Amino acid sequence: MASKVGSGSQSALREANAARIVDAVRRFGSLTQVELAETTNLSPATVSTIVKSLLESGAIETRATVRSGRRAQLVTLARQSGILVGVHVGRRNVRMLVSDASFTVLGEQNLPLRPDHLHDTTLDRVALLIVEQVEALGSSLDEVLGIGVGIPAPLDPATGMIAARGLMRGWEDVNLSSVLAARLGRPVVVNNDAKMGLLGEARFGAARGFADVMYVRSSYGTGAGILIGGDLHHGPHGTAGEIGHMLVDPLGPICRCGSRGCLDTVVGATALIDSLRTSHGPLTLGDVLRLASEGDPGCRQVVTDAGALIGTQIANLAVAFDPAVVVVGGELATTEDLLLDPIRAALERRILLQQGAGLPVIVGQLGDDAEAKGALAAASEIAVSMGGIR
Amino acid sequence: MTPAGRAPQRGDVMEHEESPLLRLSKLTKRFGAVEAVIDFDMEVFPHEVVALVGDNAAGKSTVAHMIAGDYRPDGGVMEIDGKPVQFQHTQDAYRAGVATVFQTLALADNLDVTANIFLGREMRGGRLLAEERMEQLARDYLGRLNAKIVSPRTPVAELSAGQRQCVAIARTLVGDPKVIVLDEPTASLSVSQTAEVLNYITGLRELGLAVVLISHSLTDVMAVADRIEVVRHGRNNGSFDTSEVKYEDVLSAITGATRWTRTPRPNRQSHGTVRRG
Repeated sequence: MASKVGSGSQSALREANAARIVDAVRRFGSLTQVELAETTNLSPATVSTIVKSLLESGAIETRATVRSGRRAQLVTLARQSGILVGVHVGRRNVRMLVSDASFTVLGEQNLPLRPDHLHDTTLDRVALLIVEQVEALGSSLDEVLGIGVGIPAPLDPATGMIAARGLMRGWEDVNLSSVLAARLGRPVVVNNDAKMGLLGEARFGAARGFADVMYVRSSYGTGAGILIGGDLHHGPHGTAGEIGHMLVDPLGPICRCGSRGCLDTVVGATALIDSLRTSHGPLTLGDVLRLASEGDPGCRQVVTDAGALIGTQIANLAVAFDPAVVVVGGELATTEDLLLDPIRAALERRILLQQGAGLPVIVGQLGDDAEAKGALAAASEIAVSMGGIR
Repeated sequence: MTPAGRAPQRGDVMEHEESPLLRLSKLTKRFGAVEAVIDFDMEVFPHEVVALVGDNAAGKSTVAHMIAGDYRPDGGVMEIDGKPVQFQHTQDAYRAGVATVFQTLALADNLDVTANIFLGREMRGGRLLAEERMEQLARDYLGRLNAKIVSPRTPVAELSAGQRQCVAIARTLVGDPKVIVLDEPTASLSVSQTAEVLNYITGLRELGLAVVLISHSLTDVMAVADRIEVVRHGRNNGSFDTSEVKYEDVLSAITGATRWTRTPRPNRQSHGTVRRG
């Protein structure tokens, strides 16, 4: 038994175990002592002892709760342990969540954006929103441990800028995290929104417990986040998962990225809306999805056809990297099976994906919060790496 | 809305199931020698936000006051839901299904949210019952707008500027309006408050209402409007589909760098052509 102890004394071991418990609480937001024992693989007695000492030192808080009909102690990080901000800057909307260090959401805000919004106006508004939201909680900016931001374009990790020109006009040639960090004086991490969505679903949502996940975000454009062996796959240029730019139509129109026949030229919001223009007049993406859910045949067909095409791309990618689950998020996923059934049908046509129980395709649990929640997780990570959270 | 006496042609947009809830044709208003609004045309459909933009004194508010029944037009036709209307008074507009929120908001600070929403339209009947019913409806209106207001019993004096705007907007929902006119709803609000008001406007659109939004902030307008009508010296100077127009093109229409002639087109897809010059 004692042979499991590595280097150091008994107190070093206790310290390491305490760190594991704090880590787990931060990761899941709140856990009961039984759940803590399960996730850290420590004995219930050890967890109980460490929770008691952490409680005395003020690092955590406990409150009574009920799990499976039994009384339990819910463990959370102490509220004064700081504030995290998660932001999703979408094509037409900003979604912002403010949480404490244990990811308990304390505040939220939506801000509609104009089409083709520019980085200066939008980041200015985001910065002001953060300040106002934090102040609304009775806190100040110096309590903010980290800020995570998801944007609908891939970011080159080497430069901190958007990886390729044309993907998000008016946002190029700017190091977005340093613009915000300079403005707010807090650590900022910016990443692609599909990757943020994956982080969100993997930590808090439908992909919890899976090490190999494909998260597909079907929105104004299509993107994917890929989790391999528990790690988010970025690629050296940050463009991993940009499935919206896979070739689907060799003779199709030129995409905003500059290539011909990208998936987004067929299933992007512009393409979906354009295909309904003669029959339905001008619609927003929200209108198309609302009408589809209400049973409008034309809008349903548009969503179903998009699902079939996206499904083919998911199937090809899944054959290549063998995920355990496909989670679908983004606005189109609000139509649920209307979008997912054709995706499932496409997967059923690939025999390799039918091994064992097959590859499940599910709707994300976090809905339109997935990206902002993932951004909260990313904010927590950067806070840890900068020493803001110990 | 294919024009009468003309067979549908190739290139025509097929008729949309809806017809405009508000239509202004050749609407004109003069104050003595001042031509405030001249031959102004506009349509607003259900589920649509149409923004009126233009310089100071371009005539935006005059249009709003005519729709609200506050000013009587000197010429032109106004139709609500396909029926021509002539408002003598704001009450006529209210009865026809037009609700307007002016910049002043006209809220009573000493009353709570519910009392403000039903101000001047209090329900009658068993006093307690009516109170309960109004509170329930107020809750319902605030819910439909996703309002960030804790209780319908909060005194209006305690609300932020954004929340006050929300109460004023919620008040328009009393009496099931068809058309809602908002005059500068985001003027002098913080970003958070602006965000809330823009969400309320999106909420009104979701409810299937026709919304006329008057604003100076092109950033706010383009975030929520489906169409932008530019007013310049009381006349139409451009009609733009927000999803297709560039910010700069709207600006140049406002400043008069581009001139515009409105060509009558059959339906909500209709836009005139911009003539550079």
